Amino acid sequence: MSQRWTLLLLGLLAPSFSFASQSFENTAIVRTVELGGSLVHVTTTYAVKALEAGSSVYTIALEQQQKERTSWAEAKIKGQSNALELQDLGYDEESNTYLYDVHLPKALGTDASINLVFETVETHATYAWPPTARQEDEQKLKYNTSLFIISPYHTAVQRTKFKAPSNRVVAWSTPENLDAFTLENPVTKSGATITYGPYSNISPSANAAFIGAYQSTIGIHYFYDYPVLAISEYKRAAEISHWGANLNIEDEIHLRNAGPKLKGQFSRLAHQTQSFYQKSSPHVLSSMNLHLPAGISNAYFLDLNGNVSTSHLRSTPSVARNAKAPHYSLFEMKPRYPIMGGWNYSFTLGWDSPLADSGSWDAKAQKYVVAVPVMTLFPSTVIDNAELKIVLPEGATDVDVITPFPASVAAISNHVTYLDTTGRPTLNFYYKTLTDKHNQVVYVTYKVPFSAHLKKPLAVATAFMGLFTLALAGRRVNLSLHRKL
Amino acid sequence: MPVAYPLPKDLSPATVANTASLLRIVALALISGAAIASRLFAVVNFESIIHEFDPWFNYRATKVLAEKGFYEFWNWFDPTAWYPLGRVVGGTIYPGLMATSGVIYSFLHAINLPVDIRNICVMLAPGFSALTAWATYMFTKELKDESAGLLAAAFMGIVPGYISRSVAGSYDNEAIAIFLLMFTFYAWIKALKQGSAFFGTVAAVFYFYMVAAWGGYAFITNMIPLHSLVLILMGRYTNRLYVAYSSWYAIGTLSSMQVPFVGFQPVSTSEHMGALGVFGLLQIIAFSQLIHSHLPSKQFKTVVLGSVISIGLLGTAAIVTLTVRGSIAPWTGRFYSMWDTGYAKKYIPIIASVSEHQPTAWPSFFMDLQFLIFLFPAGVVYCFKQLRDEHLFVIIYAVVASYFAGVMVRLMLTLTPIVCVTAAVALSELLDTYIDPQEPDASAEVADVAAPSDNASAATPSKKVKKAAAAASAAPSNPISDLVNANAPAKTKKASKSRGIFGLDTRIAVIFNTTMMLLFFVAHCTWVTSSAYSSPSVVLASTNPDGSQHIIDDFREAYYWLRQNTAEDAVVMSWWDYGYQIAGMADRPTLVDNNTWNNTHIATVGKAMSSSEEVAYPILRKHDVDYILIIFGGLIGYSGDDINKFLWMVRIAQGVWPDEIQEPNYFTPQGDYRIDDQASQAMKDSLMYKMSYYRFSDLFGGQQATDRVRNQAVPKVGPTLDYIEEAYTSENWIVRIYAVKKEDPLGRDLKSANAFAEGKKRKRTKPMTRRRAII
Repeated sequence: MSQRWTLLLLGLLAPSFSFASQSFENTAIVRTVELGGSLVHVTTTYAVKALEAGSSVYTIALEQQQKERTSWAEAKIKGQSNALELQDLGYDEESNTYLYDVHLPKALGTDASINLVFETVETHATYAWPPTARQEDEQKLKYNTSLFIISPYHTAVQRTKFKAPSNRVVAWSTPENLDAFTLENPVTKSGATITYGPYSNISPSANAAFIGAYQSTIGIHYFYDYPVLAISEYKRAAEISHWGANLNIEDEIHLRNAGPKLKGQFSRLAHQTQSFYQKSSPHVLSSMNLHLPAGISNAYFLDLNGNVSTSHLRSTPSVARNAKAPHYSLFEMKPRYPIMGGWNYSFTLGWDSPLADSGSWDAKAQKYVVAVPVMTLFPSTVIDNAELKIVLPEGATDVDVITPFPASVAAISNHVTYLDTTGRPTLNFYYKTLTDKHNQVVYVTYKVPFSAHLKKPLAVATAFMGLFTLALAGRRVNLSLHRKL
Repeated sequence: MPVAYPLPKDLSPATVANTASLLRIVALALISGAAIASRLFAVVNFESIIHEFDPWFNYRATKVLAEKGFYEFWNWFDPTAWYPLGRVVGGTIYPGLMATSGVIYSFLHAINLPVDIRNICVMLAPGFSALTAWATYMFTKELKDESAGLLAAAFMGIVPGYISRSVAGSYDNEAIAIFLLMFTFYAWIKALKQGSAFFGTVAAVFYFYMVAAWGGYAFITNMIPLHSLVLILMGRYTNRLYVAYSSWYAIGTLSSMQVPFVGFQPVSTSEHMGALGVFGLLQIIAFSQLIHSHLPSKQFKTVVLGSVISIGLLGTAAIVTLTVRGSIAPWTGRFYSMWDTGYAKKYIPIIASVSEHQPTAWPSFFMDLQFLIFLFPAGVVYCFKQLRDEHLFVIIYAVVASYFAGVMVRLMLTLTPIVCVTAAVALSELLDTYIDPQEPDASAEVADVAAPSDNASAATPSKKVKKAAAAASAAPSNPISDLVNANAPAKTKKASKSRGIFGLDTRIAVIFNTTMMLLFFVAHCTWVTSSAYSSPSVVLASTNPDGSQHIIDDFREAYYWLRQNTAEDAVVMSWWDYGYQIAGMADRPTLVDNNTWNNTHIATVGKAMSSSEEVAYPILRKHDVDYILIIFGGLIGYSGDDINKFLWMVRIAQGVWPDEIQEPNYFTPQGDYRIDDQASQAMKDSLMYKMSYYRFSDLFGGQQATDRVRNQAVPKVGPTLDYIEEAYTSENWIVRIYAVKKEDPLGRDLKSANAFAEGKKRKRTKPMTRRRAII
C-alpha cells in the first residue's frame, strides 16, 4: 500500500513540460475572496471559450505566494457537483508560476464556452496588524494578494471581489497606473464588498514579462470578530475493537490563538467585566462548540493536569446511516482559561462510538469496511500538522485503504496494547495544513479470521491456567528439611 | 451438658475445618473489597487524580522512574527544585513507594496491559490497604485466634484513621508503610514465638522495605529493641529471642544502610543506638548464658557476671562518649518536638507550621476510631491477662503509640493499627463468650471452683475448636455459626465450666448490642471517609442550589496556564506548600517546595513576601524570579489561603532576619490580625497583602468589598503595584500570579518610571542649578 503512495507522490513531483497553447480565451474571470481568520476561501470563476476544436485541458496558473498558501484546491464546472480531474504540474520555470491542469470531461469545439469554478482554501494568509493587542482592543487583520488574476490565456475582463466579515473595513489599497486596463475607478467598496476591476483586455499574464510590468500587491485591512485559531499538532488515534463493537477515537490537540499577541498582561477583572456585559473581546476564545458524531459515549476532555470539568456534552443517539437530517452530538468546550492572543492550550478529546455506526460487513468482498473521519471539524481553524493512526483489530489481514486525499507520509506499523499477543496492524497517515475542506473520511477494509478473534481469550485463559497449575504444584511440594511430626 | 441452642451433630471435623477455612477466605476477600471500595469515594466524586501536596512529588518522581528507568531515577538531579540550588532527588528520598509503582507499572506493561502510570499511583494506596488488612489479620491471629484476626482485618480495612492517609490518589509513603509496619511486626512476633531465623529474616527484609519507603521506620527500629529489652528485664530471655533479634537486627540494619538517604545513620545517630545497644546486650547475655551452662563453679560465675556487667557499662559509656564527641549525631529537633510540644514552635517554626504536626484534639480520636477507642483499653487488659511475649509487644506498642498520637495529629496513623488489633481482640473475646452455646453447669459450680478459668483454657487442646467457633462468630448470620460449632459440645466436654452465660436472652441482648455497634461503626466510617477524607484538595467542590456538584478547579487552571503560556525556564516563587504542585502540574522551577530542607531559602521567600516592594524587588531579581504565585481565598471563602498562612512566613523570616522582620509589626496596636482599614502599616506594605488585594475592591463595582474568609471589609482604595504586575488570576481568584518586572531600560527605579508613565510629575526636592551665563 505504501508503494502506491510513493508512486502517487512521484507523479505529483514529476515535472511537466506540457505548456498550454493558446487554445482558450477567458471571456471573464471573477475571483471572490472571503476574508477570514486562519482560512481564506478563494473562488475563481473562469468563463472560458475554446479557440480550437478538441481543447480539453485548461491550465490554471498561480503565483508563488498563492501556491504556498493554498492547502486545498478543487475545480468544477459551474453548477455541477462533481469535481474535475485536477493535475498539479508544479513549478514552471519558463513562466515563473505554478500550474494546474484541469481535464475537462469532454473536449470543447471551437467557440464553445464553459464556466469553470476553481476553489482554493488559503491558510495562514492573514496576519494580525497591529501584531499585538490589549485585552479590550479590537482585532484587525491584514490580507495581501496580487492584483491581477494571472492566466496563460488572454483575458477579456476580470475582477476581484473581497468579502469582509463586516462592513467595517479599516483600509484597502488603491492600485495605480491601470490606465491600460480601465478608465474608471480601479477599486470600489460597497457594503462589506470591495471590488477591484473590472479590468479588461489583459494579454496572457502567466509570464515573467507581464508580472514584472503590471502585477502589484493589494492589501485589505479589516476587522475580524472571531478568534484566529490554529492547531499546530493534531494527533488522532482511532482504535477499532470487534470484541467491544467499538470505535474509540482520541484526539490530541495543541490549539493556539494565532491572532494578535496579548499586549501587557491578562486581567481577570477586565475579563469578568467584559463577560458580565456580554461583550467579550473578539480575539479571546473562552469557549467553542464542536460537533462530534452522534451516538458517542464515554467522552472525555482531558489535559495534562486531568479532567477539564467545565465542559458539557449533549450527545444524541445514533441515527440510521442514510438519515436525511445530519445528527451530531454537541460538545460545548470550555478550556481551563480563556485563550488570549498568542496563548496555547493543549488537550485531549476522546470518545467511544458504536462500531456499527461507522463500520459494516461487505458481503461481496468478504471484508469489513470501516469509515474513519480524518479529523473533528474545528470551525475556521487550520491544522498545521496532523497525524491519523488507525489501529485495526489484532490479526487483521488484507488491509486496504481508500483515502479522500493523499497524505504526505503513510506507513503501516504494529501496535501492541491491551492483552495482545501479536499486536495490531496500524495505519499511520501524516498530513500538512488541513482545513475545513479536508474533513472527510478514510475507508479501511480488512479481514479478520475467526482464529484471530480467539487469541485474546486463549492467551488470558492460558495465563490463568498456568498460574493455577503453579499454585496447585506449590501447595503440594514440601520443601521443609524436617518432617513435621 | 446443657446448651443454649441446638447444634447439628452429624458433621465431621474435616467438614467443619474446611468450611471455616473457606469462610475465612471469603471474609478476607470481602474485607479487601470493602477496604478498596471505601477508598474510592475520591475517584467517584472527583476523578482519578493525585491528591494534596507531597503526593505530587512522589507522582512526578514515579513518572521519571517509569519513563527513564531506575538508574536515571537513582542519579536524578532536579535543577528545577530549590532554584538555584537544585536537589539531588535520588539521594534525598525514600524510594520504596516509587519503586513499588515502577515495578507494578513494568509488570503490567510486560503483560501488555498499558495502564497509565497515574492510575497506578492513584490506586496504589487502596490496593495496599487490602494487604494491610491481611497483615493485620495475620498479626492478630498470633495474639488470639482467627476470629479476632478477621475482626481486626475488618476494622483495619475501614477505620477512618487509616483511610485518612490511604484514599485513592493519596499517593504518599504512608500508603504502603502501614502494611510494611504490620507485616514486619507480624514477622517479628512469629520469629520470636518460633525462634525462627527464617521469620527473623522476613522481618528484616520487610524492615528494609519499610526503611526504603518511609521515614517512620524509626518506629520499628525502636519498638523491636524496646520489646526485647522489656523481655530481658522481665527475665524472659530465651534463645528464641536471641535468634529472632539477632537475625532481624543484623540483616535489617545492613540492608537498611543500602538506602542512600539512610546511609550510615543506623550506626551514627542516636535514634538508632537503642537497637544497637540491645543487640550488644543480647550478645553479652547469650555469652554469659553460654559460660553459665559450661561452668559449675560459683565464684567463677560471679566473676563472669561482674565482667559481663562491666563490659555492658563500658559499651554504654563508649556510646555516650561518642555521642558527646559528636561521632554519633545527637537527637534531632524533630525528635525533641516529640517530647516537648512547644519545642518546634520555638526552634523549628517550619515543622510547627504544618497543621498535621499539631497536637491531636480529643474529638479526632473519636472521629478516626469511633467505638474502637473505648474497646482499646479492654483489649490491652486482655493482653495483660494473657501476657505471652507477643502480648507484651502489643502492650508496649499501645502505650508508645498512644503517647505519640496525642503529640501529633499525623501519628494517629501509627496508633490506628494497634487500636484495631486490641479492639478486635476484646470484641472477639466478648463474642466468644456470648456465642459459645455451652451453659455453665450449675450443679458443678460448687465442685469446680478451682477449675481453670476461661482465659487459661485458651491454651488447652480445645483451642482448635474454639478457633473454629470464633471464626464463625465473624460471620454475620447465626445458622452458619451453628453449623461450624457443631462439634463443639463433643470435644469440650471435659472442660465443663463453672462460669458462663445462662439462657438465650442474655446472649441475644449482648450480641444484638454488639452488632448494632458494628453497624454504627460502618456507617460512621463511611460517612467520615466520604465527607472528610476524600477531597483531593487540588480540586474543590461546592454544591449548586439545585444540589448538583460544582467543581472549583482554580488550582489546575492556573498551573496549566503557567505550563502552557510561560517560558519553560520561568522561575515561580510561591510559599513552600505549593512547590510540589507547581513542579508537578505547571512543570516550572520553584524556589522552595515541601521538602523543607533549607530553612534559609524558605525564610528568604518569607522575607520577600512580608516586606515592602522596594525591599522585596532585589531579592526577587537576585533569585531570577519571573512569577510569584499566591493563593487568595477572599472572594469565595477558601480559608486555606496565604493570608492565613502569612504569620508563619513572617515568623520563619524573623527567625533568620530578626532585625528586619518582626512579627508584632503585622498586628494592629490592639493585637488583632486584620486586613481592613485598621491593618498595620507593615501589613499593608507587605508584598503578600498587596498581591492578595490588588484590584480586589474594583470587583465589587463601588460597593463595599468584603473578604469572605476573614469577614472584614477591604479598604476601598486598594494597593498599587510598581515592581510587579498582575499576570494571571484564576476564575474564582483563588490563584493569583504576578510577573516581576524587569529593570527599567532607562535606569530609573520602577516606582518613578511608573509614576512618569501615569503622567505624574516628580516633585523636585532641590531647585535646579541655573546654568551660568558664559561671559
